[in-house]
Amino acid sequence: MTRILTLLTAALLATSAHAQSAATVRLGYFPNLTHAPALVGLERGTFQKALGNVKLDARSFVSGTTLMEAFAAGQLDLAYVGPGPAINAATRGMPLQMVAGASEAGAVLVARRDSPIKTYKDLAGKRVAVPSLGNTQDISLRHLLGEQGLKAQTDGGNVNVTPIPPADVPAAFAANRVDAALVPEPWGAALEAQGHRLIGSEKTVWRGGQYPTTLLIVNTKFAQANPTLVTAFLKAHADAVAFINKKPAAAQTAINNQLARLTGQKLDPRVLQRAFTRTRFTTGLDLNALNEYAALNVEAGYARNVPDLKAFLSPSLLKK
Amino acid sequence: MTITSPLDTAPTVRRPSRWGRLLWQLGGLTLLLALWWLVTDVLKLYPPYVFPGPREVWTEISYGLWGSGPQDGKLLAAIGNSLRRVLLGYGLAVLLGGVIGLLMGAWRPLRDTLGAYLTGIQSVPSIAFVPFAILFFGLNERAVLFVVILEGFIPVALAVSGALMNVPPALRIAGRTLGARGLGLTTGVLLPSAVPSILTGLRTAWSFAWRALVGGELLVSASASLGAQLEVGRNTANMALVIATILIIGTIGGLFDAGLRALEGRVRRDYGLEVQQ
Repeated sequence: MTRILTLLTAALLATSAHAQSAATVRLGYFPNLTHAPALVGLERGTFQKALGNVKLDARSFVSGTTLMEAFAAGQLDLAYVGPGPAINAATRGMPLQMVAGASEAGAVLVARRDSPIKTYKDLAGKRVAVPSLGNTQDISLRHLLGEQGLKAQTDGGNVNVTPIPPADVPAAFAANRVDAALVPEPWGAALEAQGHRLIGSEKTVWRGGQYPTTLLIVNTKFAQANPTLVTAFLKAHADAVAFINKKPAAAQTAINNQLARLTGQKLDPRVLQRAFTRTRFTTGLDLNALNEYAALNVEAGYARNVPDLKAFLSPSLLKK
Repeated sequence: MTITSPLDTAPTVRRPSRWGRLLWQLGGLTLLLALWWLVTDVLKLYPPYVFPGPREVWTEISYGLWGSGPQDGKLLAAIGNSLRRVLLGYGLAVLLGGVIGLLMGAWRPLRDTLGAYLTGIQSVPSIAFVPFAILFFGLNERAVLFVVILEGFIPVALAVSGALMNVPPALRIAGRTLGARGLGLTTGVLLPSAVPSILTGLRTAWSFAWRALVGGELLVSASASLGAQLEVGRNTANMALVIATILIIGTIGGLFDAGLRALEGRVRRDYGLEVQQ
């Protein structure tokens, strides 16, 4: 109830916030490799440079759920988020536009080192962690289970799908609380470095690795009120993606610096490098993949219908 | 001259009949629904993803309870699971609380020590025990049951020991005079006379257990449950599902409470503590 009240108050406050051109741009993102364009843009200062006098207020979130709550409450103008939360939010009629892609693939299934799991089939009767229920990895795990003739406990099957933030998975593995985890990078590579086993690569998880993992979304009202700001930010985003692809080594250093700032810990460069090879960075938005994703979302029971995603897609903003 | 009995002069309070009360309650509910509909659908004060209207919430309830699609009926499954859990947890809590309450009632040092600690634990919200329960039992049903039992047994124990303390001394003396001693005195004389107070404790324990259940399920949301439904609603930006689940949680909690309240009233009348209206 408090949450609803907070949302209500925040929504009321937000309605008056964008009457004139914004003085700050509020950006949401996660401390994950799949959000690398955000990390690189922040570390290199390209976002702030592109916005000029307008202040950039970047906030990191642990899951798409909390990020989308902030977005719904009108506390974010732009956000890097997975297609799962973005599609769900669009389905509920939140005013958002998907303006660019950020990363593809980069999600892997890791089994605890002393668990007997070798293939996807062995997940029967086991406990599998996902970052949060209804998030991008949860939806693809449910699809993956379906392909193996398995089902989550919530759907009457015997696989216990449990929401655990990726940063807490190493501790959950150590305490034997879960047997496997479907996580975005760099958490997969970090778990591997601790001796846990990769049983599903980014390619076998879904669509041969041709799936979006992170998108850039913008609040529709904000985009209408501040078209130049959005265009400027999108240019900086495209710059960041180009930099990552052209200078991967420098990008990895920048990413690691940002991750260290956010999590208080630096990743082993080899871990980051391995995670890097499993992730692709692009500004492209694949409508077909997104539509398939929306269908999986319905299949997982998180929505009853597939929204017309075309209405929420504005990749044209990127080309301006 | 007629003799007036004090009963005749006492002001008579006319309570509405059972049907009258039901009518008032239905009227209030309709008004509330109308107000809700006015705020969301007519005035559109909030966007539907923040505060959905009654129709959207009703859709969630109907799909969740008797929908026939492959993914429908989830609320029904959640209710089944949550009820099974709370009944098991509540049953165990009543058993445990009853035994501890009896021991505390029978032995003063236990009452002075454990009784005081239990009052302290009772003031800790159940959700505070969840992290501990997860570490101890894992992310599973046992962790949830632990929290439910912990919350449920304390009011029972305190009610039982308190009720035993408050048995009128005359009854105790009468029991002794008639030859009841020790356990016989407790089970034959003290416990029966303490039933009304114990029932009040059982009712408190129910509401504590129900709240603890939903709180625990919210944090340990691996299998189908009302708590997991709240979490799914939150994670998929489905406020209608969140409100639908809240309404169901409130309805079930309220219905059980009303049932226990009716039982309590009946017992109190049977014991002559309340006059039949």
